[in-house]
Amino acid sequence: MGSWLDETLTWGNTLIFALWGIILLVLVLGFVTYAIYFERKVIGWMQLRIGPNRVGPLGLLQTVADITKLLIKEDTIPRKADRVLFILAPALAYVPAFGVLAVIPYTNELYFADINVGLLYYVALSGITTIAIVLGGWASNNKYALLGGMRSAAQMISYEVPLVISVVGVIMVSGTMNLRSIGEQQGDWFWQWNFLPQIIGFVVFIIAAVSELNRTPFDLPEAESELVAGYHVEYSGFRFAFFMLTEYVYVYAIAALTTVLFLGGWHAPLAFLDFVPGIIWFLLKFAFIVFFLFWLRATMPRIRIDQLMGMGWKVLLPLAILNVFITAVYLELFIKG
Amino acid sequence: MFNVSLTGEFVAFFVFSVIIISGAVLMVSFTKVVHMVVSLAAVFIGVAGMFVLLNAEFLAFVQVLIYAGAVSILMIFGIMMTKHQDVEAEKGRSWHEALAAVGALALFGLLFYAIRETEFPVAQPFQPAQDNALEIGKLLFTGYVVPFELVSVLLTVAFIGAIVLAKKEAE
Repeated sequence: MGSWLDETLTWGNTLIFALWGIILLVLVLGFVTYAIYFERKVIGWMQLRIGPNRVGPLGLLQTVADITKLLIKEDTIPRKADRVLFILAPALAYVPAFGVLAVIPYTNELYFADINVGLLYYVALSGITTIAIVLGGWASNNKYALLGGMRSAAQMISYEVPLVISVVGVIMVSGTMNLRSIGEQQGDWFWQWNFLPQIIGFVVFIIAAVSELNRTPFDLPEAESELVAGYHVEYSGFRFAFFMLTEYVYVYAIAALTTVLFLGGWHAPLAFLDFVPGIIWFLLKFAFIVFFLFWLRATMPRIRIDQLMGMGWKVLLPLAILNVFITAVYLELFIKG
Repeated sequence: MFNVSLTGEFVAFFVFSVIIISGAVLMVSFTKVVHMVVSLAAVFIGVAGMFVLLNAEFLAFVQVLIYAGAVSILMIFGIMMTKHQDVEAEKGRSWHEALAAVGALALFGLLFYAIRETEFPVAQPFQPAQDNALEIGKLLFTGYVVPFELVSVLLTVAFIGAIVLAKKEAE
């Protein structure tokens, strides 16, 4: 796609850009619809319930019905809310969530943007969603929303630091921040993937990633039992749907990023299995991580607010820095020396 | 007349310029503090887009990460913690404004004159490095290692200072 940027902008090229964007958008929306369905089903089974089973065969159209309901619902804006920011916040939250998907490589050939600072791009853009969440909480002019927004800002800033430092190990081993090269460099056997040599980084990354997603056990910004619904308490209709959509698009993004960074991307786990196309392996690993997030949500209770910050700064950050140090020593002694 | 071909780069340049200029103008003209911070964040993002167009991707995304992300959130956080309904006080005397307008026009004239008069050397064809993050890293740890370390010391000092101030207030 890179060479097209330098060409003269004809209508044909514009159409191609737009078309690829729309294809990705449709795929992501499809993913979100069925991720919500499976989340409810999986958690239902884990809690010995049935889960959604009324709308359509096996309840498959339940999410479609829910979204339709949200879209035709009356759109309410509180009278004392800051109108402009209230309207801006859901869109501002969603745009970076969709934007980060551009750098995810699915196989060696199937990718959207191949930029040499892909990882940095991901981290930088995902920070903008935090602004949107804080603004949404502030603009609602509601104390629960404000508390939720402030918690969210504190939490996302605290956990972004270990998240970034935990992937520094991977960057050092691979020598690049280009996600496609990082995926390519991991071998065809599962012990050549980054998650075993970088096991500390991997664990820190997973914990910090769950926290960045605002999912249980780190869903303090929207803790129902304390804050009603947190930053989106005043939102309804399609604006609320946008916040939910953002959350699930980040699930997609984090699952894809973990697959590429630590789980070998499109490589087969055993070298003799490489007759299966890479995209299948990518999707399998991706689905496993998404399932893992649902599993975690069904298992863990919510962490307490006073333990949250301590965990981020006193446990995860030192561990992440230790991982960088160990990786540097290893590279110096065994690879270069 | 303007002698430009309509490439994607030109369109992107135009869009980012509009974002930067309108963000800056709105930043000055808004009265609510939070709105100002949001338009400031828009300017930061526009500047990051300009860096991308100049083949400086690393700088661009660090700009988004530090300025549009961290600094904006810090400012919003600070505003929310204090009197967040504050509105800027109404403007003062009119001769004050007229004086400011004259000053601004004089500055514009000066800059415009200087730019028009300068003889720019003929630009060498620029060869962007294949991986400019790698090149920046190499330079930081060879030619510029002393400034780099000095900056880290400066940051540590600021960091410790913030902790000391917070501690003093807690007691």
